[in-house]
Amino acid sequence: MIADDMRMKDHPILGEISKGRPVEFTFDGKTLTGYEDEPIAVALKAAGLMVHRYTSKHRKPRGIFCAIGRCTDCVMIVDGRPNVRTCVTPLREGMDVRTQYGVEAK
Amino acid sequence: MNRYEFIVIGAGPAGLSGAIEAAKAGMKVLVIDENHRPGGQLFKQIHKFFGSREHKAKIRGFMIGEKLLEEATSLGVEVRLDTTVMGIYKNREIICTKDDKIEHIKGDHILVAAGASENMIPFEGWTLPGVIGAGAAQTMMNLHGVRPGNKILMVGSGNVGLVVSYQLMQAGCDVVAIIDAAPRIGGYGVHASKVARTGVPFHLSHTVVKANGDDHVTSATIGKVDSNWKIVEGSQKTLEVDTICIAVGLSPMSQLLRTAGCLMAEVPQKGGLIPVCSDYTQTSLPGIYAAGDVAGIEEASSAMIQGRIAGAQAARNSGYISDEEFLVRVTDLKKSLGQLREGMFGHEMKGRTDIVKTEEGFTLSKSLLEKGYIDESELASFPAAAACENEYEVHPIIECTQNIPCNPCQDVCSKGCIIVGDKITKLPIISDTATCTGCAMCVASCPGQAIFLVKKSEDGSAIISLPYEFLPIPQKGDKGMALDRKGESVCEAEVVLVQSAKALDHTVVLSIMVPAKYADKARFFRAGGEKL
Repeated sequence: MIADDMRMKDHPILGEISKGRPVEFTFDGKTLTGYEDEPIAVALKAAGLMVHRYTSKHRKPRGIFCAIGRCTDCVMIVDGRPNVRTCVTPLREGMDVRTQYGVEAK
Repeated sequence: MNRYEFIVIGAGPAGLSGAIEAAKAGMKVLVIDENHRPGGQLFKQIHKFFGSREHKAKIRGFMIGEKLLEEATSLGVEVRLDTTVMGIYKNREIICTKDDKIEHIKGDHILVAAGASENMIPFEGWTLPGVIGAGAAQTMMNLHGVRPGNKILMVGSGNVGLVVSYQLMQAGCDVVAIIDAAPRIGGYGVHASKVARTGVPFHLSHTVVKANGDDHVTSATIGKVDSNWKIVEGSQKTLEVDTICIAVGLSPMSQLLRTAGCLMAEVPQKGGLIPVCSDYTQTSLPGIYAAGDVAGIEEASSAMIQGRIAGAQAARNSGYISDEEFLVRVTDLKKSLGQLREGMFGHEMKGRTDIVKTEEGFTLSKSLLEKGYIDESELASFPAAAACENEYEVHPIIECTQNIPCNPCQDVCSKGCIIVGDKITKLPIISDTATCTGCAMCVASCPGQAIFLVKKSEDGSAIISLPYEFLPIPQKGDKGMALDRKGESVCEAEVVLVQSAKALDHTVVLSIMVPAKYADKARFFRAGGEKL
């Protein structure tokens, strides 16, 4: 099921919100559903997930900050590749998305 | 190595406009943008733009973006997305990267329209998930249909902070407060008023002290600042919010121009380090132009005109148009740009706090600057906001009290009731001779939502028509509360008419009936009296 707590169905100016095809992906091994082509970060946000990574030295949590690919706060490990900017990387079916600790998965 | 006559870096309003102008003259144009979609920030701008018809006023930003894209495509402009320009080198060679591959491209002329980046303020806990930029909020809700949070604290009362607060409410979020360290609201008073009347409080001279929470924001501590920007001891209070949204200004993203060797200058009124440009967007390096926020922070409307001037300049310098034709093109553009830079929000006025009167000599509303709404007692001095001679005829009340370059109210009134005149920063006045028919086009078209129609009846009731852009749209017969300018309930109200014609462009005009004694107070409607 698609988590939709944070998703809008209708908007006073934009009208009905239309999305791509629903696709399954995993977050730290757990199966979630989002919409194809929306940024990975958006699918996570819709599912209520806030923490994308923990910093290397102090292990401080980080999440979405600029949402346009500039600040790199939202980077995660996607399909085994670290430092992927999830706010500008489109979601694909079957993606393996993991919380990043420093530059590694746990 | 590929070569183009005109390379544009940045597919936002300035870049696309420049590309269109140059392509129209016959140039071979390439637009490069690092994003996955073109349009820059335009597709996140869902509000109606200010200005006049030639500035695309009263059209929503995303619609303008669609038109620009269509035009560029039809003129054969090539757009490369997901491509980042890393540098501009000798003889206008650029190096860009896509999918980890590097490419060199040569441009006879290059327009840098890279836009701006958001400023940030550090405070304890500012790196916690839940602290976001105002741009991030717009991206999530207006592009992707996901609310950035449920309960929001907005930091910054400039136009971005005010407009994004309003958009957050349109998305269904609760804006708990808008704070600003400055003692005055920075953005347009009309933008502040449209959030104030829904009940959002402003805390001026306040800043964020701390974002609280273990791994995401669970509340925010704010405090009052004294004249030395220090927190006043004992003034701290905690707001229950899950999101802290930062809107504290923009800085030109001028690094490409600086590293290319352009002469630069630090200009605080324009937002920071900008290239030194001629009147026609030419930087100190031949063949390199700058337009839009990268050349100084302004509105998207100004960016589009600057882009067109740059495109015309490149076309002239490469012989596609004659000097005469160039002058014809840019004279109008310069005039149009000049109009947008007039008034009390023009960038030459930035940072000035000594303005106490309008151009016409009316005393500015202090309450508007400090609380976000005009105090009823201050309204009488503004001619278009005062009640008309015959209150039993429908008539517009225009609560537009600052000199902002904007005139759609005059433009859409087919009866000529509303007069701004040629100088578009002038406050509108009501014609003595023309008669209002109550069509409500002015109500829906005013980008500041500052126009209301009022009609009193002999039976002691009054009908107020007001702009409404929230869901659910109230229906005829719905009962609720009329709210005043600060968002407080003043009396019971019933919806008597709901207008939503296509020409109103999603601004519904609600007509509510209230007791006549509240006609000068009721400015918003809340169905059932519940919170929006």
